[in-house]
Amino acid sequence: MKPPPAHAFVNRLIGLTLVLLIFSGSLGLGAVWMRQEISQAANRGRLLEGKMADVERRLDEVNAQVAAAVNPDALLRQNQAMQLGLLSPREIQVVRVGESPELRLAAKRNREVFNVATASISDEANPLAFHVLTTALR
Amino acid sequence: MSKGFATNRLSLLAVGVVMCFMTVAVRLVYLQAVDRDELLRFVDKARRQIVVEHARRGAILDTRGNLLATSRSELAVAVDPWSLVEYLEIEKNPARRAQRAAEERTKHARLAELLGLPVADVEKAFVPAMRAVKPEDDTRDGKVDGRVKDRWVKLCEGVDEPTFDQITALNVRGVTHERIYRRVYPGGGLAAHVIGYLNREGTAVAGAEHKLDLYLKGQDGWIESEKDGARRELAQFRSREVPAQDGDDVVLTIDSVVQQIIENELKNIGATYQPQFATIIASDPMTGAILGMANYPSFDLNAYNKAPLAAQRNFAVTDIIEPGSVFKIVAAGAALNEGVVTPQSTFDCGITTIDYEGRTIKLPKEDEPFGLLSVADIVAHSSNRGAAQLAMRLGDERFYEYARRYGFGETTAFALGGEVRGILEPPAKWDGLTISRMPMGHSVAATPLQVHMAMSAVANGGVLLRPQIIKEIRDNNGAVVRRFGPEKRATVLRPSTAATLAQLLTGVVRVGTAKGFDIPGFEVAGKTGTTQILVDGKYSTTHHVASFVGFFPASRPEIVLSVIVDDAHVPNGGTAYGRVVAAPAFKHIAEQLIQYLDIKPVMPNPGRFLAMQGGAR
Repeated sequence: MKPPPAHAFVNRLIGLTLVLLIFSGSLGLGAVWMRQEISQAANRGRLLEGKMADVERRLDEVNAQVAAAVNPDALLRQNQAMQLGLLSPREIQVVRVGESPELRLAAKRNREVFNVATASISDEANPLAFHVLTTALR
Repeated sequence: MSKGFATNRLSLLAVGVVMCFMTVAVRLVYLQAVDRDELLRFVDKARRQIVVEHARRGAILDTRGNLLATSRSELAVAVDPWSLVEYLEIEKNPARRAQRAAEERTKHARLAELLGLPVADVEKAFVPAMRAVKPEDDTRDGKVDGRVKDRWVKLCEGVDEPTFDQITALNVRGVTHERIYRRVYPGGGLAAHVIGYLNREGTAVAGAEHKLDLYLKGQDGWIESEKDGARRELAQFRSREVPAQDGDDVVLTIDSVVQQIIENELKNIGATYQPQFATIIASDPMTGAILGMANYPSFDLNAYNKAPLAAQRNFAVTDIIEPGSVFKIVAAGAALNEGVVTPQSTFDCGITTIDYEGRTIKLPKEDEPFGLLSVADIVAHSSNRGAAQLAMRLGDERFYEYARRYGFGETTAFALGGEVRGILEPPAKWDGLTISRMPMGHSVAATPLQVHMAMSAVANGGVLLRPQIIKEIRDNNGAVVRRFGPEKRATVLRPSTAATLAQLLTGVVRVGTAKGFDIPGFEVAGKTGTTQILVDGKYSTTHHVASFVGFFPASRPEIVLSVIVDDAHVPNGGTAYGRVVAAPAFKHIAEQLIQYLDIKPVMPNPGRFLAMQGGAR
């Protein structure tokens, strides 16, 4: 078999070298691109952390303002400034309701819906219909 | 491809490539081996940084979750005048430079407006100046002359975030800032003595801030990374990151509204009687949870540096008083509990002397002449001689033992500390008169909180509880990490005895020393106290401690309330009796608490005419 000419071997070598250069260059560029991406992702993360801290700071600020605004002393001052005349009730003004207000309101509503006002109140012997309708509210 | 290309040019290229690689290799060896240490030091100094991440201090909340103390960021705005100089020097065109300077001056005026400063002050801050430093520290500008450029001229402190946003939007050249966290107290002076405060250095000074600092302060974190030429962090080079752990939130048992009610009453007392000090405590007798604790004088937590030190003391625990007639609950409770008397047992309270353990003892004076009184009458009318005879029935040791059981002579283990033990000497140290004087609250000293907790023991069926001021600790996600429940300290009385004594104490407001201060339907049980103050070793006839300590409703107590006023000045020169100074305040507070806490009456109260539901508890 006839050996290949020297220049063909050299050409192949050049070709391989070029391929190797392209390959290693691609690897290098890929590495640079990856590092760039890592850097950008890290910076985005840092910015987000900064934003979160900023939001938390503002939340604290708002919470402090709300707390100061709803402070009992501030509300009393508002009451005076706005001349609302709001006072806490005195015992003589208070009637405490012993029964469940939900049931009472439900009974009222039932009477209106089913037009059985007289029957449901006056018919004490047969209050079952009322109980069935209101048990879900308990 | 020709042969020449394959030989001459290729060889040239190969040599070139090899030389390039050789150059790189030499340079690498030089960098990695020869200059390695020096370069590493330089990089480390120039790029490496450790950023401390400050933990956010936890909040203090009341029992309903209202903020009592929180942290807010504030900014110190400053100027780097040299930055402006450098910015202007970059522009070589004189006309454009003048235009830039004019633009900046316009911004300075707006900046001054936002900061509330005179424009001249802001302009003055932008004048570049040098400042003196130690020669060994003078390494910044290359010249070692002990002077460096002053790049931090403070303009204003305490700038809030919204204002700073506007300043940032102005884009003023040379403006810089430092963000700091400052403690703010939205309630101002609300519960000032309980909450305490952080001073400007960030040191917790008093109250819950100080005692619970370990929970509140959290733990700072840190980030080890690198920075670029503009000192910005290069996040991709973070090598170690320890996140900050924010402080826990502390929930107190204090109720802001209850606290507000008692503080308002204290303000009224202060305005009317100008006392040395006054204390009001409100608590739940069944748990020992303190719903309100306030003192007069008080101070604004946001302006603590302007408050005198005397106003910063929590008198409820730091000062002692002679409890006076309130102490009669010890003698009456002990005598009933030991079965040596019944409520109907009678004593001659008209006598002036009595034989006791082989000695004739002079009995103390009464405010009004009494004759034969039952135990119920002794309590209701606060007979000094009656109380002395009750104690004598018990004897020195048993009476002392009961006084100890009520918690006198030892701290209440108040969680915020700062309290004193009071004075209760053992019988071995008593003189001949002590057994007749101590039952009326002389020869003994206690803090207002000790007196309050003693009455609380009567209210809750005879159990002495630890006063509870901390409800729970929550982490920054809101999860409860520690909960504080009631803590029993001692059994003072049998439940039946406590109930009997509670009923006897209702006589005080029905027929006794505080007659007229009952609240119909709510069975107020209490005891007045009026103690002469020791002035120069003698009991003064013009200076008194007035007190009313009680609870309601007597048959199912929901609130224990103490009003103690030291050295009140009664208008028209009257004596500062407990019924004059403290009982009206007690009643006024009780009426408001009944509505706010929706305390139900014990018996039907006729005469209501308007349908209205009180605030839900």
